[in-house]
Amino acid sequence: MANSYDLIIIGGGPGGLSAAIYGGRAKLKTLVINKGAIGGLVNTTREIVNYPGYGQISGPDLMKDFKKHAETFGVEFLKGEVTQTNFSQTEKKVVTKKGQEFLAKAVIVACGSEPRLLNIPGEKRLRGMGVAYCATCDAEFFEGEDVVVVGSGDQAIEEGMFITKFARKVTVIVLHDEGILDCNKVSAEKALNHEKMEFIWNSTIEEVVGKENVEGVKIKNLKTGSTSELSCQGVFFFVGMVPSTGYLKDSGIAMDKRGYIPVNELMETNLEGVYAVGDNRVKYLRQVVSAAGDGATAAVAAERYIEEVNDFNNNVLQSDKKVLLLFFNAQDNESLKYRAALEELNEKSGTDYKILCVDMATKKNLAEKYAIKTIPSVVVLEKGTEINRLEGLEESLEGLT
Amino acid sequence: MSLKQLSAAGFEEVIYDNGEPCVVIFSRKECHVCKEVVPVLEELQPKYENKFGFYYVDVEEDKALFQRFSLKGVPQLLYFKDGEYHGKQAGKVEEDQVEERIADILE
Repeated sequence: MANSYDLIIIGGGPGGLSAAIYGGRAKLKTLVINKGAIGGLVNTTREIVNYPGYGQISGPDLMKDFKKHAETFGVEFLKGEVTQTNFSQTEKKVVTKKGQEFLAKAVIVACGSEPRLLNIPGEKRLRGMGVAYCATCDAEFFEGEDVVVVGSGDQAIEEGMFITKFARKVTVIVLHDEGILDCNKVSAEKALNHEKMEFIWNSTIEEVVGKENVEGVKIKNLKTGSTSELSCQGVFFFVGMVPSTGYLKDSGIAMDKRGYIPVNELMETNLEGVYAVGDNRVKYLRQVVSAAGDGATAAVAAERYIEEVNDFNNNVLQSDKKVLLLFFNAQDNESLKYRAALEELNEKSGTDYKILCVDMATKKNLAEKYAIKTIPSVVVLEKGTEINRLEGLEESLEGLT
Repeated sequence: MSLKQLSAAGFEEVIYDNGEPCVVIFSRKECHVCKEVVPVLEELQPKYENKFGFYYVDVEEDKALFQRFSLKGVPQLLYFKDGEYHGKQAGKVEEDQVEERIADILE
């Protein structure tokens, strides 16, 4: 089927593209579905100075290199927004806003995050009329004007400094006590000494004021509770990000209340064959380099999972002979002895079963599927259906004779 | 099909001389939201062929145009008909919002 893939990656930022490189190289038929420009939020970064191997590069340029790299491994790209999913079957389905349907054996969720809104009066209404979220896009429109920046993280302070190239003055509204910024120390020092930057401490903004365009903001001092108004023509919000995982609400993927997906070391979500990486998962550091690492891990985990599924389909579900599925531990002597005994018995009794060994250490999914609690355990399958189950050596040997 | 780019002169002609009903997106190359909205217009364009125009202005190349409309950000969709300005939409605009506005203007 044309719309059937081994691996579908939702999102084309650094996590998704790294997963695509690993998936493509492992010869998986891989599709990246991306709704905007390839690169995701990295595109909003003018300068990246901490991606290894690149001393200094712009976000869009770095992402172009990622994409080019993925393309050399035969990865396919589709522009579209995934709005629906069905992850309940072995064959997972994703549906785009336009109704295109795709199937995949494994799915990697890598759709990144979006700017958090404060949801204060005027913020939505005046968006594009002075309320902005991207300095690269909009700073130039405030030539010679007064701009307010909300937030004090890396993005807020670095973008704030960029805006000073155009604006007459940039006033930063900071939640913390005087002198405390959330951003890195180098940027903090620069900003605090910047002649065009001013700071209002212990404060947040309550409202963006203006009829047609932004005319000012209402600032609330959190210590005194007092409110004041500051006249300005622009407000840039940099108050953190939220994961863009809303469309997965009914997918069955477990998420925390902020929308982040908890995963294990293999980037596995609570759903088999579904992985989450980068800004979509619960994690400590949200950087290009760590998203790339996540992507690699998820793609390798997906590759092994797909191999397991394929193997199982070919050797077990479609086998003409009855299958003895032996769950064991390849590093355990008892297990190995047991396997030998089972094979000998099968030969002697002329029962002609097909014996398939499943190492519990690497094939956790299968063990879970058959709810295996003790090893060694034997599941007897006929045309993929369980017809008997034998636990422990004695019982097995009896059961087969 | 990509949108036809308007220079300042082209803008005068299409909007004021011809009075064509149309939408003009003010955009810039490095803006990620623009990169999401431009394709929305590109896809709608064939559906409205000969009925409604779709144009593109690069704010870096034609500064005077965005200053004239005192725009405060990109992307912005500006609507025109019979040489008159019919409002704008800012930021991440969805397909149905554009179609609604077009329907209003063509009414």
